[in-house]
Amino acid sequence: MRFQDASPDARAVVYAGIQAEPLVARAAGLLADASLGQRILARAVMNGMSTDPLHWMAMFPSLFPPTDVARIGPERARSEVILAMSLEVAGRGEQVRSQVRGAIVESLTELLVRRRPALATAPPTAVRRERRILFDGVRAEIHPYDVTVEAAGGAEAIDCKWGARGINADVLHQLDDARTHAADEDEALAATIVVFDAERSCAVRLERQTAPYEATRLIALETLDRLGEP
Amino acid sequence: MNPGSIPTIADVLATARPAYDDLAALAEDVEDEWSYINDLASAWIERIDAVADARGDEAAPAGAAEAIAALAIETAAIDDPHRAIDWLSTFPQVLLIAIGERP
Repeated sequence: MRFQDASPDARAVVYAGIQAEPLVARAAGLLADASLGQRILARAVMNGMSTDPLHWMAMFPSLFPPTDVARIGPERARSEVILAMSLEVAGRGEQVRSQVRGAIVESLTELLVRRRPALATAPPTAVRRERRILFDGVRAEIHPYDVTVEAAGGAEAIDCKWGARGINADVLHQLDDARTHAADEDEALAATIVVFDAERSCAVRLERQTAPYEATRLIALETLDRLGEP
Repeated sequence: MNPGSIPTIADVLATARPAYDDLAALAEDVEDEWSYINDLASAWIERIDAVADARGDEAAPAGAAEAIAALAIETAAIDDPHRAIDWLSTFPQVLLIAIGERP
């Protein structure tokens, strides 16, 4: 089993530009330390219609409680920053914001994975983006994995999705195939799908799939922080 | 709910339901996803009904009624069925957070 950079085709070049946008890194950094409510706020706003922050504040009263302006606490302040960032994403136009959202989920995933204690002293190259995994005698998959962990004894292939609807047979097959091909080479490879959506919605989507997913770990909106756990 | 009275959680959930039903109806325009849409909506309605059964008589938290009004306005503005599918998941998450429940 070996990891390899994806070939720089036209899609990869365009997408690399999106991934490199400062907004993507800023959003990922904010969401990495956000509460579940703040992550749901970001999800709603980034795919919302309204551009009025007061409208969103009304929709999330627990994040924006009435307060003396001079005494805004750190959690409300963080909610305000996340709201502003999410509106910035939403303001990018329909097609671009969809790409930006996807890049944010990938960047967030990478950020959280890097928090694993086992990777604390690992080189930066232990966690990579847009990589293929090659196996002897097996034709390489066309699509690279969004995030890979390439540390000895802790290899992992991770695909990231904005919503539960993104879970499909192709993704599940690719993840499960990688895991089983690795096992054929006596290598351990964890397969994970990260979905920036509720676990309940993901479960409904998964129940409809005929592709194997029992050995693929699901990380949903409620469980994102597990990415950083041992 | 009587005008001026404090809404209960059951009131808030009942107020939200027509907007959610409208969202599901719009989402059904994506014919390939018809059964997924119905399964998704059913799963969330089941969760919302369970909350109504357990806590329906409680007074809704401050701001919950206004939150649901804003949520209904937001989803009424959606005219793309694909976005409606995404919001079939987001809507109940926002709703449940507004009444102090984890999705």
